[in-house]
Amino acid sequence: MKKNDNGLSLVLLRGWAALRQPLIAIVFGLLIGAIIIVACGESPLMVYAEMFQKSFIKPYYLFSTLVRSTPVIICAMAVGISWRAGYINLGVEGQMITGAFISTVVALFMPGPSFLVAIVAWVLGMAAGAAYALIPAILTWKFNVSMVITTLMMNYVASYITSYFVTYPLKDTAGDGLSIQTPEIAEALRLPRLSSTTTFNAGFIIAIAVVVLILFISRKTIFGYESKMGGFNPTFAQYGGTKQVKVMMITMALAGAIACVAGNAEVFGLKYRYTDGMLSTTSYAWTGLQSALIAGLDPIGMTVVAIFLSGLQIGGSAIQRSMGIPLEIANIIQCCITLFVSVKITIRFVKKSKAAAKEGGKQA
Amino acid sequence: MKHITKVYGSLYANNDIPLTLNKGEILAVVGENGAGKSTLMKILYGLEQPTSGEIYLNGEKQNFRSPHDAIAKKIGMVQQHFMLLEPCTVAENIVYGKEPKKGLFFDREGAVKIVEELCEKYGLHIDPRLKVGDCPVGLQQRVEILKVLYQDADIIIFDEPSAVLTPQEVTELLATMRKLATMGKSIIIITHKLHEVMAVADRVMVMRLGKFIQEMPITETNIEEMSFLMVGRHVVERHVDPQPTGERVLDVKDLVLAGSDAKNILDHFNMHVDAGEIVGIAGVSGNGQSELIQCLTGLLPPTSGQILLQGKDVAGHSVGEIREAGCACIPEDRYLWGCAKEATLTETAIMAHQHKPELSKNGLLNSKGAKVFTQRLLDNYDVRNSGQSQKAGELSGGNIQKLIVAREMEQKSPLLIAAEPTRGVDIGAIEFIHGKLLEKRAEGDAVLLISSELTEIMSLSDRIYVIYEGQAAGEFRKEDATEEDLGILMMGGKLV
Repeated sequence: MKKNDNGLSLVLLRGWAALRQPLIAIVFGLLIGAIIIVACGESPLMVYAEMFQKSFIKPYYLFSTLVRSTPVIICAMAVGISWRAGYINLGVEGQMITGAFISTVVALFMPGPSFLVAIVAWVLGMAAGAAYALIPAILTWKFNVSMVITTLMMNYVASYITSYFVTYPLKDTAGDGLSIQTPEIAEALRLPRLSSTTTFNAGFIIAIAVVVLILFISRKTIFGYESKMGGFNPTFAQYGGTKQVKVMMITMALAGAIACVAGNAEVFGLKYRYTDGMLSTTSYAWTGLQSALIAGLDPIGMTVVAIFLSGLQIGGSAIQRSMGIPLEIANIIQCCITLFVSVKITIRFVKKSKAAAKEGGKQA
Repeated sequence: MKHITKVYGSLYANNDIPLTLNKGEILAVVGENGAGKSTLMKILYGLEQPTSGEIYLNGEKQNFRSPHDAIAKKIGMVQQHFMLLEPCTVAENIVYGKEPKKGLFFDREGAVKIVEELCEKYGLHIDPRLKVGDCPVGLQQRVEILKVLYQDADIIIFDEPSAVLTPQEVTELLATMRKLATMGKSIIIITHKLHEVMAVADRVMVMRLGKFIQEMPITETNIEEMSFLMVGRHVVERHVDPQPTGERVLDVKDLVLAGSDAKNILDHFNMHVDAGEIVGIAGVSGNGQSELIQCLTGLLPPTSGQILLQGKDVAGHSVGEIREAGCACIPEDRYLWGCAKEATLTETAIMAHQHKPELSKNGLLNSKGAKVFTQRLLDNYDVRNSGQSQKAGELSGGNIQKLIVAREMEQKSPLLIAAEPTRGVDIGAIEFIHGKLLEKRAEGDAVLLISSELTEIMSLSDRIYVIYEGQAAGEFRKEDATEEDLGILMMGGKLV
């Protein structure tokens, strides 16, 4: 009995320890935001109340928040799965663009019954995303190239190549022809709307399914266990006989495939076409990455934070319209939160190295 | 030092400790790991501040905020891990922090001269122009001692000074200490090697679990009494009966691992281990032991040579394949190889077991099986824990080591490599782990023991190899091995 009590209090303690950092960061982020709002000559309480109303309380805005959070949640999962295995994958954006673009092209041009087209489109897109994520993995394996650099740079490659295709060969010439975008995909291929008055669609269900899948993979599979240990301490995993190259390849392929799903949720659930820059100017991948950082890579935590950050952005644009507070306030708060979380990490690091220095003796 | 108390959280690392030291005296502070010896010395040296208690030096109350204060009051410390700049010369290292100057510049020749005078004065001979990195460990320690003497210390603290030395070097070190004491220096030596205490100390102070237990002149005590006081109970001398050996389990033939320069790290290394025997590898650390383990376990591919594991050549195979072929390994560095500090105890325990049917099926982990498995290891190996979700990094060194030993024993493999299996754990855990290794031997499995503790090798092994610069410098049967012979070979000498 005593042991159970201990276990429970330990869990509570851990839970608090895990939550404390993001919560404090959020409070500090909001405080900094408040200072800027005051500087704009408004009352922070009023503005925050309005922001909160127009992101989480009023149904219309709540649905907008959830729609916006859909790709963010999925991107966070893609980031989370690679980071927890120790691979700093900054290329979720590029993987998302590549995968979603391939899916769109298949959806636009493949003949045949729509369910078959849908399946092929999603599968090929995910394969493309996975393949795109495997390139940096292979470079790391064969040539020991830093994955941080390659994944980051490959975002631009993906972005500019798709930009070319959308601008020239695949551009929609119907209508005014001013928008750089593909034609719309067939109605049968679109994800169903779940609400008649808003754009809330089945993409959100898919996002939740991805979260469940990630939870399952990380907690219940040997692959999840081995990748987690590799992330904690690669030499420990190596010594235990795990095949690290295989784990890296699976991890990155999975991240790429999931990234494609994020883009597809946007294309097939909301926009119904691929528009140039639709996945990069919105910063879905980067918001997802911030969610992952703030929540410390915990899948459920990442989901909550992703919804929260999306709500900030929805609320931020709402108050820009109604109160004349610039939209950037949402970005400032979001960045401050991330910053405060990182500061915490940095402080811990500094403390550690100081302790190490102390251990080492200050004889000199 | 009076009533020294140091509290970490709820733990009393030092509880009301008195310590006195007279001029020209050698005081030994003995106790198990975690008894609080090092904490006490860190307080004396200014590295830690006491929670309460006072330090008096020649009747004057002191308040050491940092080692600088302690050094200014002529207290010096020879650390267990040397703080030397390896690419610099002996002289440069010794004068570092208080360099002789010629105008604005460092006076290199002056430094050499100072060091030569210092060597002369204390009879500690060393060439001041040697690079420290090229010196053997014993000489490096001498550099540390000279450095403390250069700082003009009257009180010198030695923290586990013999841990890294060969028997011959230890003998020399003890002689040095005696000499320094007769020259009026006061010495504190922290150790758990009781025969050294008997050989060198004037007085001994025993600590256990942060408490002062007893203090006595060396002439009025003996090893049995001290170890009884240290552990709080009698330690039985282990007696290992010889047993017949079985077939060859591990046969290493002509193993070579090339280094980055012309010198081979492992240089045509040969050895074998049979079923039912413990084979020890003795050597000063850094002579290829780590690389040997890594080659044997598949972490490093050897350049050439054969590693026959139960007749099958596994040289260059992957870690997984070698484990599959029947090799388990207690790693030499438990936090580098043996666990991940952030991992839970369950996650730590199932490593390399995760593919077994008890723990998984078709790539899916069986959480319940893992719990049962982990609990079995924790219970059978007496690992003190507060639940399986505890993090490995939160366990004490001895407990996490027991869990790692449990995990590798549980492989029930024909060959177990035990590398430094008891490094930095307390006497209780050492006894326990030694017992388990002998059980493994009694079951007819082969054990390869690699350790820098010569006493551990001597007491457990049926056969002993000495490794020197990547070569098997000698092979002994237990009954023929003496510390002196092993020590000579460990230093690269030849037996006549």
